[in-house]
Amino acid sequence: MRGKHRVIVQNKRIRYDFKIKRNITIIRGDSATGKTTLVDMVREYFENGDSSAVVLDCDKQCTVLAGRTWEAQLSVMHDSIVFIDEGNDFVTSREFASAIQKTDNYYVIVTREGLPALPYSVDEIYGIRNSGKYGTLKRTYNEFYNLYQSADYKQAARPKKLITEDSNSGFQFFQSVCKRTERTRNIACISAHGKSNIFDAVINSSGEDILVIADGAAFGSEMEKLMQIVKSYPNVKLYLPESFEWLVLKSGLLSDGNTARLLEHPWEQIESSEYFSWERYFTTLLIQYTQDTYLKYSKKRLNPAYIQEKSINKILAVMKWIDLE
Amino acid sequence: MTVVLYSVIKGKIMGMEVYKMLNIYYGNMPEAVFNTEVYFKNAYEDTWITDPLAKEMILDVDKSVVLDSAVIDSPVMGKIAPVSLSGGVKTLILMDNERSRVFNASACGDNCAKWILKLAEISDLTINLRHLMDFGDGTFNICILNTNQIVHSMKELVPVAGLYV
Repeated sequence: MRGKHRVIVQNKRIRYDFKIKRNITIIRGDSATGKTTLVDMVREYFENGDSSAVVLDCDKQCTVLAGRTWEAQLSVMHDSIVFIDEGNDFVTSREFASAIQKTDNYYVIVTREGLPALPYSVDEIYGIRNSGKYGTLKRTYNEFYNLYQSADYKQAARPKKLITEDSNSGFQFFQSVCKRTERTRNIACISAHGKSNIFDAVINSSGEDILVIADGAAFGSEMEKLMQIVKSYPNVKLYLPESFEWLVLKSGLLSDGNTARLLEHPWEQIESSEYFSWERYFTTLLIQYTQDTYLKYSKKRLNPAYIQEKSINKILAVMKWIDLE
Repeated sequence: MTVVLYSVIKGKIMGMEVYKMLNIYYGNMPEAVFNTEVYFKNAYEDTWITDPLAKEMILDVDKSVVLDSAVIDSPVMGKIAPVSLSGGVKTLILMDNERSRVFNASACGDNCAKWILKLAEISDLTINLRHLMDFGDGTFNICILNTNQIVHSMKELVPVAGLYV
């Protein structure tokens, strides 16, 4: 599946209206906001159609996955938006992550657990809020809202320590950036070697002005922990672009008019059965676009062309709020 | 980060040594009741619903009024049965009434946190959390059972508990 899909689910008392644009969407937040009611209404419509008295408008089939037979149920779900309520502990398993990886469905999962095996975006973690009652109707209108605002993870920072999720090209880039000037040479740049190690790396670096740079496209599972750290320790800041490759594409370094258009609406291009997370799509795109050019990109080892002054300046210009000069 | 080792052991729940306060085991805990919705549906008693503390929790979290043991007035859904309460408030009611069991408190949102602290003030309470519930800006006494450390604020709790979720 690709694209952005609007889902409207309603009965006489309650209406939900939201859009889904990535393969994994997480719903969490306070109790009694209507998360389970939403999944129940989707299930009732799927099982009973119009005779459920639920109205569901969407250009894709919406269905519910639950219980011990989830693998068998999943095997017959295609091109659907699949809702999973909390209480289904299979969502935490590696088997589930593996099973949904190559499917052409989008998944809406209600859970407060991190789900580190699933590469979901920091932009696709939502709460549900009441947007009021309209006119004389007694129906409550509910909408999704982003639990984390971009202001939470694109903060102004002048760090003394950089912690990158990446251990390859992204890390090599920032390591080079830190060697550029007298001030930046005092910035320690370390790799956490993966998103699951970032929390450890941060709490073991107390007292310093830390900037965490990680791939927002797949960092959702770590977000709650890191936001709690940011709340308690103001010296810790986050910068979470989609990925390092996205930064390069966004920088204009490739001077390709097509890139800007693709980055504006990535959901139109990204097929969920091909790319488990957008981060992988941006890597593929950068590799394709730079093939046979002096900027030929490799994820493992950074092409020195990316650490030339002109390249560094263009890429850092995307990171508007970060002072690495 | 300051943590104090606590030496007064209250007793044991499911083989774990627990303390006279809120005890939390973070991460996967096979002994805990994971699906609290199902457990509540099959275990709740009428008196649990009409208990004054339950009424208060239902009003605060679900914004609903208990009319009697079988009927609750919800501002969104109309008259509902106890099984249709929110997953969070049902889990709070279970915690209050079956203290010898450990329930998955990740079925509760942050708007339930103050009630979990209150339940632990009434009598010691042990819960399982699979996420970092926000217990607010105030101080509290929470024993993190994974490490047997007592913490008193979110600033102390997060660096310890975050390693297990």
